Amino acid sequence: MSSPTPTTTCLPASGTNVNKAHLPEGALVLAPTRQLQSLLTIIRDEKTQRGDFVFTSDRIIRLLVEEGLNHLPVVPKNVITPVGKEYEGVSFQGRICGVSIMRAGEAMEAGLRDCCRSVRIGKILIQRDEETFQPKLFYAKLPDDISQRFVLLLDPMLATGGSCLKAIEVLIDHGVQEEKILFLNLIASPEGIKNVCTRFPKLRLITAWVDEGLDSNSYIVPGLGDFGDRYFL
Amino acid sequence: MSESHPDHLHPRPNLQSRISTPGSKNEVMVSHGRAPWYGPDGKNIEAYVVGIAGGSASGKTSVARAILSALNYVPTVLILSQDSFYNAHTDEEIELAFNNDLDLDHPNAIDSALFAKCLMDLKQGKATEIPTYSFVHHQRMPEKKYIYGASVIIVEGIMALQSPELRSLYDLKVFVNCDSDLMLARRIKRDVKERGRDVDGILDQYLRFVKSSYDNFVQPSSRYADIIVPGSSNQLAIELLVDHVKRQLDTRSLRFRKQLAQMGEDETKLRAPNGDEPLDKQVILLEQTNQLLGLMTILRDRTTSRGDFIFYADRLSTIVVEKALTLIPCKPKTIRTPLGLDYQGLGGDDNLVGISILRSGGPFSHGLRRVIRDVPIGGMLIQSDPKTGEPLLLKSDLPHSVKSTETSGDVKVLLLDSQMGTGAAALMAIRVLLDHGVLESNIIFLTYLIAKQALHSVLRAFPTIHIVTAAIDPKLDEMHIPYNRSTLVLGESAGEADFAIRLVDESDRDHGVDKDQEKPDNRDGLKSEKELGAEKFRIPIKKDMETLKFSRSRAGRDERVGEKRAWVISPGMGHIGDRYYM
Repeated sequence: MSSPTPTTTCLPASGTNVNKAHLPEGALVLAPTRQLQSLLTIIRDEKTQRGDFVFTSDRIIRLLVEEGLNHLPVVPKNVITPVGKEYEGVSFQGRICGVSIMRAGEAMEAGLRDCCRSVRIGKILIQRDEETFQPKLFYAKLPDDISQRFVLLLDPMLATGGSCLKAIEVLIDHGVQEEKILFLNLIASPEGIKNVCTRFPKLRLITAWVDEGLDSNSYIVPGLGDFGDRYFL
Repeated sequence: MSESHPDHLHPRPNLQSRISTPGSKNEVMVSHGRAPWYGPDGKNIEAYVVGIAGGSASGKTSVARAILSALNYVPTVLILSQDSFYNAHTDEEIELAFNNDLDLDHPNAIDSALFAKCLMDLKQGKATEIPTYSFVHHQRMPEKKYIYGASVIIVEGIMALQSPELRSLYDLKVFVNCDSDLMLARRIKRDVKERGRDVDGILDQYLRFVKSSYDNFVQPSSRYADIIVPGSSNQLAIELLVDHVKRQLDTRSLRFRKQLAQMGEDETKLRAPNGDEPLDKQVILLEQTNQLLGLMTILRDRTTSRGDFIFYADRLSTIVVEKALTLIPCKPKTIRTPLGLDYQGLGGDDNLVGISILRSGGPFSHGLRRVIRDVPIGGMLIQSDPKTGEPLLLKSDLPHSVKSTETSGDVKVLLLDSQMGTGAAALMAIRVLLDHGVLESNIIFLTYLIAKQALHSVLRAFPTIHIVTAAIDPKLDEMHIPYNRSTLVLGESAGEADFAIRLVDESDRDHGVDKDQEKPDNRDGLKSEKELGAEKFRIPIKKDMETLKFSRSRAGRDERVGEKRAWVISPGMGHIGDRYYM
């Protein structure tokens, strides 16, 4: 058993993304195992029906959440086991909450609750302003004490990163510290990662896969279509 | 042959009965569970096979049944009848059969190659499928019967001693000798009563086939017999026979959980005097991240509430299953994304099954279903025998793909149990899978917690299986827990599969303590004694408990307060099945 570190772990430099895109220090990609690749194959397939799509994305989201939770700090804690022996363990330090960017981000809430029972979940609605074409905050309902919590920000697809940047601004406006934000994401574009991590270098971004890039409509390619539509509608 | 129960060979708890249908000659006797049928090296000990031949209606079946009931302490005894192995017939032959013109009393009427193959499989402890033959249709039926797990096999049939292949498989050859006129008289009575034939037809068949077959083939085969038993008034002969079989069996049965713990301990010291060693490459230990250590701390803490325990056990099993699945190979697969682009991806494997060692593997099957919705999940109920601490196989429900020898070679099995202490239950479960033709390298064992010793025991026997675990604990301690026999039930309160519990009577205990003060038994030298509390003291294992014997039921040992002994992983997580379910 390796000895538990009492302080927050630093995010290891990633280098595991298959497309060899250069990633900034704050970004981490899940290990590209064969299982992960076959899961992504299922959700990318246009023929996949909703039942399989939901089940499979929930599975990937749980992997993301578990990876994200690994970056939370712990403190040493000794317990007595049922056989009467002492065990040198650790206990979780600091409280967490989830914040989903509506509406696709809500699809990740089930996976989050699978790992963190009864975790509080805030919601943010951001849409493109018809006049300025800039992302605009329409709605935000966040836990009152969010400034004292670690925040798991949920959005499955990171394309240009416009709405994500806006959501992070909202969190910081509510007093959340930048280094206490973990952004969980299924598929990211290299551009999106660069935009988010350059603007907020202390934030940690965890994604399951980095795709090739964006097409002329700013869709991720090869991507998987509109995640929210495929999950909900 | 009209056996209708598909799982008839699986031992059931607390059941001592014959499972058969009227008129069926294949019969299985089951009792309290099957003790290990293999050594600590994981290799099978061959089943004991008795061949019984004799003329038609000479009394073979009653001799077989007499042996069966005398062996009622043996978990599984199988009577295999030659009748199942009549050849498949052509249409012409079937027509002859309906006119009583088909000679079924000739050695060639029997598919002795298939007979020998099935018997060989069973003798080696493998699962097999035997044909079914219908005397109504005079034909072999398309369905086969799955048979697994007999420690003693009794083969009976008029030609049982005829073929050299079969003879070479018997440990004991018996011929039942009976007067021809007595056999004919019995045959007429039986065929009129049970098969609705008329006396003319019976006599006609007797004179044309049965008599000449007996004189030419059956009677001469008696020279191969080790013992010739009279077909009537044979009480004494059967007693002698049964005594011999019992003695033979006693030398074959095993007692080895303690041996396992001891061997694992020795090897741990041998390999790593300083207690630190690199992990075998077959063992995948989850990365010991902060989150995982935090989860383990909650699960190990004895003050954790049941609700929390269940939630975190489910969460951890999901993580372990995800890790195990990264070991499963995938095939390339090209798909099209909703944007209309082709994408070169990977596709999964359809031959995956889960098998949980009950009851403590139960929490894992929940985690497995969270990851693969429609995976078949089989179960093996393995519990410790409260008298000996040995693992007992009480029931196995295996997925179809494992039961069929045609497909089992391709199946990949996730074997689920919550902890591995001595490794005894794991060895048993793996042995069952191998007996069904699953490849050793296709087995992945998933668990929360392993004692280092168990790793050695299991990997020494089965070096190519994979083991995925969340933690490896350094020690295996023998705990001594007082119990009241009146509350004891095999299984539930006796211990979970790898939380082996063995009972010691009050009388044995007093005796043992006295002896201990004079002469410590060095075979019991595990390291926990000094840590045990005041009421938990050391008891040497009495030599006669260690001798290699089947557990015969002992009368007059109840109604006393005694002690349970359990091998527990330290620091461990306690009794995971109880914490999850009770």
